[in-house]
Amino acid sequence: MTSKKELQLAYGIAIVLLVVGVISFTAFSAKPPEQPVRLVFTGAAGKVVFTHKTHADQSGYGIACKDCHHHPKEGQGDNRACAACHAKDDNVAFQQKNCSECHGENEVSAQDLKKKTDAFHEQCIGCHKQQGSGPEKCAACHVM
Amino acid sequence: MFVDKKLIVSHAPFWHNGSCIGERNYHIMLAALPAIIFGIMQYGSAAIGVISLAISSAMLWELAFNRAAKRPDSIGDGSAAVVGMVLGMMLPATAPWWLVIVGTFVAIVIGKQVYGGIGANPFNPAIVGLAILSLSWGKFMDFDAALVNYDFGFTAVYPLQLVKHASKNPEIFNVADVVNSFKIMDLLMGKQVGGIGAVFGLGIIVGGIYLIIRGFIRWEISLSFIVGVILTALLFQASDPTRYACPMFHLLTGYTLLAAFFIATEDSSSPVNFIPMLLYGAGMGMMTVLIRNIGAYADGIIYAVLIMNVANPLLDKIRPKAIGKAV
Repeated sequence: MTSKKELQLAYGIAIVLLVVGVISFTAFSAKPPEQPVRLVFTGAAGKVVFTHKTHADQSGYGIACKDCHHHPKEGQGDNRACAACHAKDDNVAFQQKNCSECHGENEVSAQDLKKKTDAFHEQCIGCHKQQGSGPEKCAACHVM
Repeated sequence: MFVDKKLIVSHAPFWHNGSCIGERNYHIMLAALPAIIFGIMQYGSAAIGVISLAISSAMLWELAFNRAAKRPDSIGDGSAAVVGMVLGMMLPATAPWWLVIVGTFVAIVIGKQVYGGIGANPFNPAIVGLAILSLSWGKFMDFDAALVNYDFGFTAVYPLQLVKHASKNPEIFNVADVVNSFKIMDLLMGKQVGGIGAVFGLGIIVGGIYLIIRGFIRWEISLSFIVGVILTALLFQASDPTRYACPMFHLLTGYTLLAAFFIATEDSSSPVNFIPMLLYGAGMGMMTVLIRNIGAYADGIIYAVLIMNVANPLLDKIRPKAIGKAV
């Protein structure tokens, strides 16, 4: 059995912390940074933690944005996330929806684009081999 | 003839020394403050939101259950607040609000109140809540994925997950090298990815020692748990140092220290006698490292605690010899 004083203290704590919690989740919710710090790609072979900032920043590997974000070309639009164009499977509706912002209905075929997994593998492994650095074996990137 | 007096009881009136359950629980919350404040400094306002909502929603779930079950309001004893706080400390700072509320519902209602409330729960309520959240919404509990937007300035990969992965791929990684990439002092000072209140090892140790000195938690459980972790990790490391991490790494990563001082010592789900307390703590420490090293999960705390909670009533059968003769 708790005393009246203890109960009043508990009611007070519960209400104050509830208000603080609600305000923190609404007014002070963390905004994602302009450029991603890290990205996590998920797949059947395990997740990949891609250190985006380390790859792109001048203090890191200093890779130019357009070396990876190859479409649209320089000066033709903002960089897009890889998965905005490269769908996981033959999701034609998904690609048409994304492509139709700039392209005509029959201008781009979904089948012409690499699937997301192939695009990522080609981009990462290709660059690592070209530079002679970075992981190349599956489990060096994919973590179960 | 000399008669050895075994028990001496003074005559009435008796005087209450003023201590109560509420005092104990608020001291536990006070002891957790250094670790929580560090978590807030590291993860920002998001951590304030998770911790505040976890404590308040746990108290409100308990209040709601009290009213529904027509029982007296019990939130004054601070037990629900401690359960919510411990659960919040184990969550990533980016946990969505609904995850926190569901977690505290499971912890308080399913983990505690349905058994009869304080003192009647067979499992640690916060761990029950965390287990359900991990099983049901594992992607929110993945620290690597949850904290991608934080630029820490240190290796931002969950250490236990990395070591687990390295030990499964010995052709690519050497666990000793992976472990050495984390400095022990950095881990102690909270330069690691993890739960809001689980990363600052030094703060948790200071809080834990305070609770032991004040007599609010049993040192037997904390110490035997730490010894259990260290000895088991030492044996594994001695068997194959290229596959298994050193004891200090196990001690300073994941929920180990939090479990030693704030989880394993929960009253209702832990033994009360000396030998059982030692066995309970040591068994939990051993299970933790076993699960980490040869089990499926990166951190073994959740299931180590639940398994030893199940063993608790059996362990408490080991009782001291009764004084006097049986009739």
